[in-house]
Amino acid sequence: MGLTADERWGLVDAIAQRTVAFGISRQTTGDVLGELTVKPLTGIPTALAVLYAFWSIFGSFAGVLVTDGFMIKLFDGYWLPWMQAAWPDPGSVHYFLFVGDPAAETCFEAFGMLTSGLFVSFGVVLPAIFVFYLMMTLLEDSGYLPRLAVLMDTLLHKIGLHGYAIVPAILGLGCNVPAVTATRTLETKKQRFIMMTLLALFIPCGAQLGIMLQVVPDTVGWVLLYLLIGFVVFGYVLSRVIPGSNPEILIDVPPYRWPQRANVAKKLWNKTRGFLTNAVPFVMLGILIVNILYLTGFIGWLADLAAPLFVTWFGVPKETVGPLLAAFLRKDLAVAQLSTIPMTSYQMITAVVLISIYFPCVATFAMMVREGPRQLLAAIGVLAAVVLIYGGLIHAVGILLGVA
Amino acid sequence: MEAPCRGAELVTAAVGLAAVACGAANILVWAGLYDGIEIGIMAIGGPDFFRWVWGSLVVVFGGVMMLAGARQMHAVPGYGKVLLGVAMIGIIGGTDIFALICENIPAGEGAQFFNSATGFIGAFAPPYPPAVVLLPFALVIGCALYAGRADDGC
Amino acid sequence: MHDHHDRLTILMMGNPNVGKSALFNRLTGANAVVSNYPGTTVDVTKGYLRKDRHSYEIIDVPGAYSLEARDAAEEVAVRILDTHPDAVIMVVLDATRVERGLYLALEVIERGAPCILALNMMDVAQDKQIAVDAAEMQRVLGIPVVATTAISAEGVKHLADMIRKAQVADLSAIRSRLNGQEPDQGAVARCAGCGGGGCR
Ligand SMILES: Nc1nc2c(ncn2[C@@H]2O[C@H](COP(=O)(O)OP(=O)(O)O)[C@@H](O)[C@H]2O)c(=O)[nH]1
Ligand SMILES: [Mg+2]
Repeated sequence: MGLTADERWGLVDAIAQRTVAFGISRQTTGDVLGELTVKPLTGIPTALAVLYAFWSIFGSFAGVLVTDGFMIKLFDGYWLPWMQAAWPDPGSVHYFLFVGDPAAETCFEAFGMLTSGLFVSFGVVLPAIFVFYLMMTLLEDSGYLPRLAVLMDTLLHKIGLHGYAIVPAILGLGCNVPAVTATRTLETKKQRFIMMTLLALFIPCGAQLGIMLQVVPDTVGWVLLYLLIGFVVFGYVLSRVIPGSNPEILIDVPPYRWPQRANVAKKLWNKTRGFLTNAVPFVMLGILIVNILYLTGFIGWLADLAAPLFVTWFGVPKETVGPLLAAFLRKDLAVAQLSTIPMTSYQMITAVVLISIYFPCVATFAMMVREGPRQLLAAIGVLAAVVLIYGGLIHAVGILLGVA
Repeated sequence: MEAPCRGAELVTAAVGLAAVACGAANILVWAGLYDGIEIGIMAIGGPDFFRWVWGSLVVVFGGVMMLAGARQMHAVPGYGKVLLGVAMIGIIGGTDIFALICENIPAGEGAQFFNSATGFIGAFAPPYPPAVVLLPFALVIGCALYAGRADDGC
Repeated sequence: MHDHHDRLTILMMGNPNVGKSALFNRLTGANAVVSNYPGTTVDVTKGYLRKDRHSYEIIDVPGAYSLEARDAAEEVAVRILDTHPDAVIMVVLDATRVERGLYLALEVIERGAPCILALNMMDVAQDKQIAVDAAEMQRVLGIPVVATTAISAEGVKHLADMIRKAQVADLSAIRSRLNGQEPDQGAVARCAGCGGGGCR
């Protein structure tokens, strides 16, 4: 028969009146804090504190404790020398593919599947994503995530982005793949397109953050700053340029809840297992492919071909072509590979930013294909333009600052 | 019940004020206006932007929040502010301690993997960063306040 | 109406963040992702429940505020509803925000599918001194209404038991019951006695 919305609400009210009784209750501590943490005046300092904790714990656990404290010693001091000694004939192709450089002193430099591949996967990225996922899960389960979105809303609104659209972006810091699916909660094609593009461009994933912390610890702040600026600037441009409507996003902020230990453990385990089964093979495969491309001379040829673009326009050494190819498979691997190319710290910043923005990794790419193949073409167009423009801009800023 | 409540408010305000002062001092030292300062068991200032500017900013905000809430800490808005301020100072102090633990479980340079027990404990000798010094005071206030609200104290 | 030897499909629907996935995991032992923000579930998860002689396929549907879909996740929800015309709909409500859930429930009821209602988050409602009268709601709506707390599994077993008593509700009957008349002796009350499930 079809009720109108008003008739339906009328019925709802009548039923609720019959069945629901509100007693007198004072605000719980959760409610009080819930309000304070979304008001800008008290909420922004809280957000600063939460982000500090997030980054500090991430760095202390993954960087200082596990990787620097144990993994580097283990891999560089024992595993690498042992592999170099035990693997037969150092001049051969299989030695190059599996062990890499026979003279290398660190597992970053060696770049064989069983040296760098294992080190990057288990020594650096695994501890990083483990703490990262743990803290993400706590943010998700406590109910802080949507509050962060509301706060961002007040800031981002001025540039035409709606804050709640930021939820996929924050999720993307863990891994871009589920974040692409999370854009489904956005209302219009325009919003989804903008968010998906920004996500693929400017949001580094947890694995990449982990390795950046290891490889460029002093400049990771600059890299993130450039990515953030890019996010805001290109978000603004896209929201102006892309046709379509950009309606207000209504935010439903849930109450704070204590994260359930069983649920946190389950999610953490599922995500970590996902990394082990999906990402580790890609790291290995990436090293294999890049090494083969080196052997066949393809990368050298491509580097020469792209040299004008890289050296004069982006201001980075032409050897970064190799890592950029690897970045299509795994960004963490690409950053690890970058660390072995000699360059100035500003070049390093530029190169790491380029790796982040130049193309989504293959898993994200596949997910984008699934979510909207036609939009993907447009996204790639935008992507190419942004990489060229932004890469050049960063170089220009470096020249102006006198550091490039 | 008047007197003890006033006392609690004064203590809260004092800790808040101390947090503001220490946090601001940290930032000034980082900016190079002063050399590092040591007061008793507290050491102020270091080179790391993240820790000494961002972190200290949070301590300052936490202190301001405690100050703002102290006057009506037994009513709803003040209570929340004090609790939030305590949490912010707690976050910085807590992560500082966590960082110290993580730094000192592994041995430094050398062949060994694990630090010796004495080496580990020795790392926890003073001086401490301000947030760590403020941490116990903040925690006591926070817990008392939370418990007090639960059984409607004051 | 249903042949109980076939597997019956149950669609779990409700507003975002009311605990559908948590309840779904409790019912099926599956691994749907549970988080405390709206929009966690944007895709379909299936699970299975065996209860006595009955076997059910349960689908965790993305959250929706209304069946007039506004975003892609809600579109998924409506599409699932359309592609399972024979399914029993389990509408999950947040007991602290009954109104919004009831709106969706009425939309589902209007489609004429057999329904059962889960009043979740009863622990939170209790803390907030919100009393929701499940029995009265059951009487008014004419479909089974079960109070649950997904995180402690309270009421979940009862919910599983009641699935087979899902009813097609009648809007005009609801209206007249709200006006104080009793159109029949209360479908659910009678049903509870017949024990046959689905009232053959
Ligand atoms: N206190 C309480 N929390 C619940 C209950 N059911 C679910 N939750 C929490 O509510 C949040 C949302 O649950 P979820 O299953 O993801 O909701 P969905 O979006 O409807 O699937 C999670 O943080 C759950 O832990 C309940 O009965 N009581
Ligand atoms: Mg869900």
